[in-house]
Amino acid sequence: MATLTTDLKYGGAPEIVALPQTKLIEILHDRAASMFAKAKACQRLAVIGDGAAVEPLASLLTDAQLSHYARFGLEAIPGAQAAAVLEAALSKTSGPLLVGVTNSIGVRKDRNALGPLARLRSHPDAEVAKAAEAALARLRPPL
Amino acid sequence: MPDTKSRVTRRQILKSSLRGTALTAAPLFIPASALGLGGTVAPSDRVTLGGLGIGNRGATVLQAFLNQPDVQFLAICDVRDERREAIKSMAGQKYGNRGCAMYSEQEELWARKDIDAVLIATGDRWHTPLAIMTAKAGKDVYCEKPCSMTIAESRALADTFQRLGRVYQAGTQRRNGPNFMRAFDLVRSGKLGKLTTLHAELGPGERWAPLTSHAWLAAEKEPSKQVVDWNRWLGPAPWRPYHPDYIQGRWRGYFDFHGGGILEWGPHTVDLCQWVAGLDETAPVEFDPQGMGGLTPYSIACRYANGLRLVMRDKGFLGLGSCHIRWEGDAGWVETADSGRIAVSGNLRGQVADVAQEDARKSTANHVRNFVDSVKSRKQASSNALAAAQAHIACHAAHIAFQLGRKLTFDPAADLFVGDEEANRMRSRAMREPWRT
Repeated sequence: MATLTTDLKYGGAPEIVALPQTKLIEILHDRAASMFAKAKACQRLAVIGDGAAVEPLASLLTDAQLSHYARFGLEAIPGAQAAAVLEAALSKTSGPLLVGVTNSIGVRKDRNALGPLARLRSHPDAEVAKAAEAALARLRPPL
Repeated sequence: MPDTKSRVTRRQILKSSLRGTALTAAPLFIPASALGLGGTVAPSDRVTLGGLGIGNRGATVLQAFLNQPDVQFLAICDVRDERREAIKSMAGQKYGNRGCAMYSEQEELWARKDIDAVLIATGDRWHTPLAIMTAKAGKDVYCEKPCSMTIAESRALADTFQRLGRVYQAGTQRRNGPNFMRAFDLVRSGKLGKLTTLHAELGPGERWAPLTSHAWLAAEKEPSKQVVDWNRWLGPAPWRPYHPDYIQGRWRGYFDFHGGGILEWGPHTVDLCQWVAGLDETAPVEFDPQGMGGLTPYSIACRYANGLRLVMRDKGFLGLGSCHIRWEGDAGWVETADSGRIAVSGNLRGQVADVAQEDARKSTANHVRNFVDSVKSRKQASSNALAAAQAHIACHAAHIAFQLGRKLTFDPAADLFVGDEEANRMRSRAMREPWRT
């Protein structure tokens, strides 16, 4: 039987995904928490997180290991607050992380980001430019 | 769904150029095989195929393709070197040469202009993004089930194939299974009367728990990229540390990679139920889960807008093999599964014969043939993208109801749960960069 990953303080996956939002946010703030615990917290916040989870998740968008997990949470949380932190991350990230943030804005169909996305179409990183084009295609109303 | 849009295919170009060659350059030597002589099929009539991620099930499907005289397998792409070599060897045994190309990155396979269609048999996490990107590369797709990880992926799949006019065949081969077709004909003949309840068998809970695990296996040393490209293996799924169990097929049961027993057999059996009821373009409006406390028995009672009931369950069938369906009408019932045996209500005895097991097992070969014919005719395959997407949406909605442990109301026209934000949030999952649909 293979060994499962656990966090010394927060335990295994079943324990972490059973935590309430306040505890999940505590994990995101805890510098000693493992990547595993933070990843599971982000995924659970995708389902139960509200405005209180947005900034803690946004703080991970620039983390190479956890940026996708942060988007996992933010992409699902409805409302302008999550949209705003994703849009702000367009100017704080680069390379693959910027591609990911752009993709998430496209999935959310955040029309407030039309201007920044349009500017990214001429980004020197071709993958970013393609992601911006794809996101804009999602944002445009169907013909 | 309308037929696929007409477009000039590689085979049409070959046909016209071969005609031209015969007229203007007749003295030149043209091999018999290139003209379709000597029992071979001319290149202009062959469907050329590539493979993405071919493991155990994929090899069974690939063998069915290799058995088609008008299919030529040209290339394999896999993140594992031993798989690439195994499939190259399989093709070599068939063709007597070493001509099958091997790639470790899918972009190389998509760049091949001489490949018409692609067999996708990776793990579930890759199915939708690869199918969509393959279609965008101008190729038709045969994709193993489950075809999607979420409701949102299912919708993107259907929309993309409709928009691009590519042929799509989901690996739900029972639509071309002789015993399931006989049961279908019995219903469509009216002998069961008006359909009242459909039953679809789900993956047994003791084998595939309906609730998947959020755990990670403890990290082990990652092999070199040449041996296993772990980053590509994960693809759009969330990163986690490497463990050999995953790449040896034991990725099932983990939330990031798998939909549990509901998504194991549901894409087959729920798909058959929607097919027989003429509900290929919709999904149920109500999902009521039962049995969340254990592995088995478990079930989800569903209802369509027209009042028809669908019961997804993992137990209580007649023991006719795997993947049972049971269709009940107000004048009788029929039940069948993979053994080929067909049970009916007393009033219908003698009206439908069993299918021999060896014939029941031909469903994959029949399904592959249906796909090849569709690639040539540009007509929709039997398990087309819309039908597959709708059956998967029904399964994902059932899985979400099961995870939340409560009855859900669903609007299939909008792919929205009514009055349940948590359920709606579970309709999609962010993909790991750089992947998107």
